[in-house]
Amino acid sequence: MSILSLRRMSLLLGLSLLAGLARAESWPQPDWQSQPAPTSAAVVDLEAYAFAPRDEVQRSGVRSDALLVVRDGQIVYERYAAPTTAQTAHLTWSMAKSLLATTLGVAYGEGRFKLDAPVAKYYPAMAEHPQIKIGHLLNWASGLAWEEDYEYAPLKSSVVAMLYTRGRGDMAAFTAAHAADAAPGTRFRYSSGDSNVLAAALRGMVGEQAYADYPWTALFEPLGIHSAVWERDGAGTFVGSSYAYLSARDLARVGLLMQRGGRWGERQLLPEAWVAFVSTPFAGYQPQLAKPGDAVPGGHWWLNAELPGTTRPWPDAPASTIAALGHWGQGLYVLPEDKLVVVRYADDRDASFNHNELLKRVRAAFAEEVQP
Amino acid sequence: MIRRHPILSVLALLLLLLLAWAWPNRAHLAAFPDIIGAYTAKEYCSCRYVSGNPAAYCEGYVKQYVPISSLLDDEGAKRVTASGLGRTHSAVWLGERQGCQLLPND
Repeated sequence: MSILSLRRMSLLLGLSLLAGLARAESWPQPDWQSQPAPTSAAVVDLEAYAFAPRDEVQRSGVRSDALLVVRDGQIVYERYAAPTTAQTAHLTWSMAKSLLATTLGVAYGEGRFKLDAPVAKYYPAMAEHPQIKIGHLLNWASGLAWEEDYEYAPLKSSVVAMLYTRGRGDMAAFTAAHAADAAPGTRFRYSSGDSNVLAAALRGMVGEQAYADYPWTALFEPLGIHSAVWERDGAGTFVGSSYAYLSARDLARVGLLMQRGGRWGERQLLPEAWVAFVSTPFAGYQPQLAKPGDAVPGGHWWLNAELPGTTRPWPDAPASTIAALGHWGQGLYVLPEDKLVVVRYADDRDASFNHNELLKRVRAAFAEEVQP
Repeated sequence: MIRRHPILSVLALLLLLLLAWAWPNRAHLAAFPDIIGAYTAKEYCSCRYVSGNPAAYCEGYVKQYVPISSLLDDEGAKRVTASGLGRTHSAVWLGERQGCQLLPND
């Protein structure tokens, strides 16, 4: 992305922030305010989809563990399915990648790294790949020959080997040992390995001393998040790809931060340019290779962007929607135009869940007409 | 040879093809039996001690299409050991922020 378009985006973002400041805002400080919306036909409709009778035998269909909707900083809907409760630190799976990006955003604001710096500068094990830059990893465009498959093709899956067998001692080093099969920055290939190299690079950016607590000091504590757990590999590196755990209410705080352009209360925690970067489609992304409904990759966030010659992945949500998505149906959806943040935790074991269907019903139930 | 032992010949050819496929995949094949035990130990440990779910729920939660032969949850030590396909792995809860981690193989 050119510097010019980045500047233009941050300008737009800045203007929209000023407009928002004119009115009093709700923040979950210290706790969320809850204003449950009255049960309408649209809410019944939403629940019929998200909380359809749960199949515990075949584990088929939509199986939500939690659904939380925040509108303009206040909870308007919240429901859990046992044993998940409001206190449960639920596995985020790959939503952890977007949490890692948000942590990196704080480090970026502190001037700890540059997007166009070689990864090897912060993580020497990447010396074999001197052309791969931090921005490439954030776009999942390292060019490394990575196989991201889960339980249906475990033999050659890089991610299964990384998490459970050959890579678990040091996931970033396991990834760095992969050969390249494309030039960095040219090809999108979703890779949990790229994320864990970023997690290892964070150590080089902030130093060994600060690293172990950095996600807390940089992100979780400023946001008032108390439930976060972030597991590490055998080398002490955060499993940035997969193993963060938060309560639904705490994850929604990260959503609200993104909805409000990286600002938390009076503090611009994430630089506006960072929020613009992560919300910008990867330039080398080829939507014609994607399956229908596949979100567009940004900077370790997923976008509902309408790219030239295509329709947006989730037609019933605004194009400005961004999301953190994880295995088995995990989702954090941020709809800045509707001032909505949606957290869904789930245990979907088949592919029947549909992001667009959920967002359509959430918007029907909770989106207000946007005042011009 | 082929005319006299058609079945043997086909079997020999199949074996050859299998070896030709297995050799470049040897690293994947060697690690494959470890997946189920490691997966079960790690995810059960986190389900139980990070998310705080009941044991009965976690047992169902970690079930995969490959069966496991044993699952031991040492609640005192917060240490979970699982065996499957002849391999055994353990995960242990390390702390409030660190959650669970697989232990290195001996």
